[in-house]
Amino acid sequence: MTLTRRDLLAAAAASSAVLALPRAAAAQSTLVVPTYGGLWAQFWESTLMPGFAAATGIQPTLDVGLGRDFVARVRAGAGGSPYSIFMGNENIAAVLRAEGFFEAFDMSLLPNAAGVYPQFINPGSMGIRAIISPIGLAYRTDMVQTPPSSWTDLWENPEFRGRTGLYQIGNTGAVLLLRLVGQLYGSGPDDFDTAFAKLKELLPFTQASWSGEAAAALIRGDVVVAPVDWTEIMILQDKGAPVAVVAPQEGVLAFEQSFNLVATGTEKEAAHAYLNYLLSAEVQSQMASAFYTSPCNTGATVDAALAQRLPIIGDAMSQIRSFDWDSYVPEAAAIADRWNREMG
Amino acid sequence: MTETRTGAPVAPQHLRMLWMLAPAFVLLLLFFILPYVSIATMSLREASTRAVHGEGWTVSHYTTALTDAYILTVIGRTVLMGGLVTLLALLLGYPVAYHLAMSRSRWTSLLYVCVLSPLLVGLVVRTFAWMIILSNNGVVNQTLRSLGLIDFPLQLMNTPAGVVIALTHVFLPFVVLPLLGNLQAINPEVSMAARSLGASRLRTFLKVTLPLSLPGLQAGAILVFVLSISAYVTPALLGGVRGRTMSVLIVQYLVDTFRWPAGAALATIMAAVALIAVTLFLLLTARAMRRLP
Repeated sequence: MTLTRRDLLAAAAASSAVLALPRAAAAQSTLVVPTYGGLWAQFWESTLMPGFAAATGIQPTLDVGLGRDFVARVRAGAGGSPYSIFMGNENIAAVLRAEGFFEAFDMSLLPNAAGVYPQFINPGSMGIRAIISPIGLAYRTDMVQTPPSSWTDLWENPEFRGRTGLYQIGNTGAVLLLRLVGQLYGSGPDDFDTAFAKLKELLPFTQASWSGEAAAALIRGDVVVAPVDWTEIMILQDKGAPVAVVAPQEGVLAFEQSFNLVATGTEKEAAHAYLNYLLSAEVQSQMASAFYTSPCNTGATVDAALAQRLPIIGDAMSQIRSFDWDSYVPEAAAIADRWNREMG
Repeated sequence: MTETRTGAPVAPQHLRMLWMLAPAFVLLLLFFILPYVSIATMSLREASTRAVHGEGWTVSHYTTALTDAYILTVIGRTVLMGGLVTLLALLLGYPVAYHLAMSRSRWTSLLYVCVLSPLLVGLVVRTFAWMIILSNNGVVNQTLRSLGLIDFPLQLMNTPAGVVIALTHVFLPFVVLPLLGNLQAINPEVSMAARSLGASRLRTFLKVTLPLSLPGLQAGAILVFVLSISAYVTPALLGGVRGRTMSVLIVQYLVDTFRWPAGAALATIMAAVALIAVTLFLLLTARAMRRLP
């Protein structure tokens, strides 16, 4: 068979058309929704995305990554963010907010926000903390005789000496703990001098970059106590690991996933619809069942068995220690540098 | 310019061949030069917490980094660990490569698989395996305890030692493979001639085989050194604070605290340090290489 130039051009045109087909099919919505990997991505793919599409007719594209990746993409996009809605820990979202990438939500397009505990709605509707993963004190049930009941036990229980795990400063968990310790022992969440002085008393401690690493250190027995989020410990318990997590009497910390409207996004209406769906009592209940988050909607319910394992629900949501992160942004670099130098 | 039979001017052959360099040049431009220019430009922007970077230009990120004892310590540690990993990989890899080059055994292919095995497992999985082995309650410490050799666990995790062990493991093939190619290319008659002239096995190795394998050693050493000082996952998971390397610090600046200008400056400094170290190594080995046939 002889291939003529005309044949070649026709074949190339046909190939281009075929390659363009999937893009045309996906062009129903240009809304890109970010989420995390693992259980989160599974839930988004199996439950949230199909449910959202059925409820609104919008079929967004899922982007799986880390909150810090999402920040980089919004920044790199400059005048054209790939996202119209941003998801990330509130302290990370505060960075983009300070840089002017976000704008206020139109609350009339978020009717489900009426059911959200007020503490999770930022002033001026500049962000809503819609997925709450409480952080308690996790410990090895077989290696600890006196389980922790207070954050101060980290200092006072001799069983924990040299066998404590903490998040490293790159993780939101470390910054949350610093601010809590400043509150507990100092003048407030901005009293970093006191917080550093107290945490240095815990040295040597193992530092974990993320919850999975902290959980692995617990499982290995390298540490016997560590602040870890409920999700991680529930998963370990489901696998039969001898670990438990308690809500200290002073309250719990929490990874608060902050949803923000990106000013340079192009799908703001769809972004509102997406967040509104995510805030619904039904979806909040589904997330609690899927990966043990605490529903932020007052109307969400969880079954009795789950409620026993996940005590930070309903009225207990007031136990969550939330902080203002906008004032922290200018301090963040100096705090990280100080941690590097003093927590060795 | 010359002319064809039809009279059209034609460029000299060496100029006509230049177009063959075009793909390499485009590749270099897109994936090396432009990103580096972008990084270098970012490193000269002022810091800001109200925007990705400030409006003005500054060299302060460089002066701050190069006068900061902590950062200088991390740079020194990174280079030292890279050098140590390189040395260990050469010492461990040379006998393996030599054996593979000389062996006619049917088991040689199995040894090949063993050499390549570190590369057959995912990076994170492999590093987690090292965490299980090196942790305070890991395989190494439990074995030493059961043998009564230690009372308290050796601190292997969250130290430079753990990082060096794990990096040596993974980068061993990068020494073995170039060396193997080099050793296999050495004419065996050269060694035989030395032996027939009365040289001992050791003298033959030191005076003939080793010098002739210097190109392979040089290539392997550069590969391992550059890969070691730029490794991220292994030092991030095994190094802790005491084993922190520049790549981990740079990621913290860029990704954790979103300091793009200062992080870009650290990345540029580290690239310069790597370039200087490799150039010095090349200069040091060049003299020995010049004596080769």
